[in-house]
Amino acid sequence: MFSFLVRRILQIIPTLFVISIVLFALLALKPGNPIDEMRLGNPGFTQADYERLTALYGYDQPWYFRFWKWLGRAMQGDLGPSTQYGMPATQYVFQFRLPNTALLSGLSLFFAFIIAVPLGIFSALRQHSFVDYAITIFNFIGVSIPIFWLGILLIFIFSVVIRKFLPAGGMLTPGVDWPDWALLGAQSSGWLETLSLYLDDVWTYLVDRGSHLVLPVFALTFLQLATWTRFMRSSMLEVINMDYIRTARAKGLIEQKVVIRHALRNAILPIITLVALSVPILFSGAVLTETVFNWPGMGRAILQSIVESDFNVAMASLLFISLLILIFNLLADVAYALIDPRIRYD
Amino acid sequence: MAVTAKTPIKVRRRNKSTSAWGMAWQRFRRHKVALVGGTMITLFLLAAIFSPFITPYDFSSLQLTQRFQAPGLENISGAKCVRDSVLFWECGVHPFGTDDLGRDLLTRVFHGGRVSLLVGFLSATLAILIGTVVGATAAYSGGVIDSVISRIIDIMLSLPVFPLLLILSALLIGRDLPFGQWLEAVFGSGKTVVVIITVIVIFNWMATARLVRGEILSLKQREFADAARALGGSHFRIIARHLLPNAMAVVIVQLTLMMGEAILIESGLSFLGLGITPPEVSWGNMLSKAQGFFFFPNGIYTAVFPGLFIFLSVLCFNLLGDGLRDALDPRSIRK
Repeated sequence: MFSFLVRRILQIIPTLFVISIVLFALLALKPGNPIDEMRLGNPGFTQADYERLTALYGYDQPWYFRFWKWLGRAMQGDLGPSTQYGMPATQYVFQFRLPNTALLSGLSLFFAFIIAVPLGIFSALRQHSFVDYAITIFNFIGVSIPIFWLGILLIFIFSVVIRKFLPAGGMLTPGVDWPDWALLGAQSSGWLETLSLYLDDVWTYLVDRGSHLVLPVFALTFLQLATWTRFMRSSMLEVINMDYIRTARAKGLIEQKVVIRHALRNAILPIITLVALSVPILFSGAVLTETVFNWPGMGRAILQSIVESDFNVAMASLLFISLLILIFNLLADVAYALIDPRIRYD
Repeated sequence: MAVTAKTPIKVRRRNKSTSAWGMAWQRFRRHKVALVGGTMITLFLLAAIFSPFITPYDFSSLQLTQRFQAPGLENISGAKCVRDSVLFWECGVHPFGTDDLGRDLLTRVFHGGRVSLLVGFLSATLAILIGTVVGATAAYSGGVIDSVISRIIDIMLSLPVFPLLLILSALLIGRDLPFGQWLEAVFGSGKTVVVIITVIVIFNWMATARLVRGEILSLKQREFADAARALGGSHFRIIARHLLPNAMAVVIVQLTLMMGEAILIESGLSFLGLGITPPEVSWGNMLSKAQGFFFFPNGIYTAVFPGLFIFLSVLCFNLLGDGLRDALDPRSIRK
């Protein structure tokens, strides 16, 4: 197991290298660069300026040359500045975008998990019942609905039809005189003292944050729920017909104990793997949800950086997500081996 | 005389052994939900193909006096049209309402179905074709070829797919791709359609390849494969005539599910502005401006109908795939 771990961890490095070459090449070959973006917003920008800046930033060089330079700096932990936001790309991605996405994805993962597991179990135990069919129909709807359409309808119902019942997007109500600590990107130092000073504000702040979270979390949860319930149900169905379950029932155990102690323990293994593999996908795959709900997270950062040719931000966020995928793949494999003694890696 | 002549024919028919496909069809027919799904898709397809003949409007002609009409069967002056005329909304009725530029939504939704369904069908077919060929090759050859292909599949499956789709379509949009003119000539659709199909195909063949590889790996150990080899069949013949037909059930189900998936991907990309671009119409790009129309009366209908069609067509493909899975693979437990 130990040598397997070491080998897999070492494999991450070359894989990440290949991924970064591919990403860099794709981004560099895409039409448009940061200098084009500068020219767009500036009528006084002359052709001479354009050529001078292109040469200065090295955008006239072929992509592999630029990749080599980028790699040299990246090895030292410097992923370059963001051309749109005037700060290091890493700071922009990890301080301003990652926490928002972590909050959104974390909450929806949590809710999806605690709803999908009981729902799947219930559906499996009452196979072919009315409730089972209802859950199956619900699953089909969940996998087929385009999430941005669901988002648009949710916003329309809850903040347009029912006026201002829930906010239509963003993370905090704009225009309110929020104290410094509440604002996005404010220095986080000294927040504890402020907390005690502004308990009233804290309450309004939390309510405001919470109300902004309801719709996007609901949409993302809905999306995950369908797949997970289906998996949980089929995994439970497989287990519940096994001999040892019959043994447990024959021993005279109460049904609740049979289901929870005996069946669930085995049925939940594939779900845990599925959840582990969903984490990195949620971090990048929430592009549509974040766009509809105007949520400043990683997905939107990726989309915007691609559209605005902010190469360093795009590279930083995409490499982070690739690394996350590799790590969670490894974690899923390890978890499998730890939970299921039949699986051995050596 | 006539009766006695008929009876033995009937009996013979009943006794005639049904082919595997015939049995599958019998099972599929019992799957009512899947039948509904298949019928709905056929209807959507017909509506898309014959959209210019169904509605009297043009999908791109503006009528600025008729912006944001409510859906319904009354025209702007409130007059109901005569129902028994074939094109009963010829007198200015908009059954789905109109959008921000006064274009008839029903016409646009039907017309958008052309691009969305075309992307769904073509990209799914291509992706499944590539996946099947790659998977079969890997499994049949074994050895180095198999391990290289499997490794490539593993790496591609662990890429952040959606962001890569975004980059690749940003990279390819506005360029001429091979087959672009050909596709334009046949289907009358522009460059972006080719781009989207290419992008979807590049990132969606791997799952099928893995599935087909698994199937072929187990099939090639079976006796009939040995028999085919012993009879001196060429490699191509063994794969194409003996192994693949037995793996067809998996491929067909995968194809159906992939069509729904492709429609979802296309609509997502178009919604973000990195897919089908106006003036071309697709269900996804009809939705991209919809959030701006919330506060116009009847503005929501610009979002409701295209989204409903995406949802329904994907749902139908999924139901169809489910029915086909049950029909084609009798071993699979009825879920």
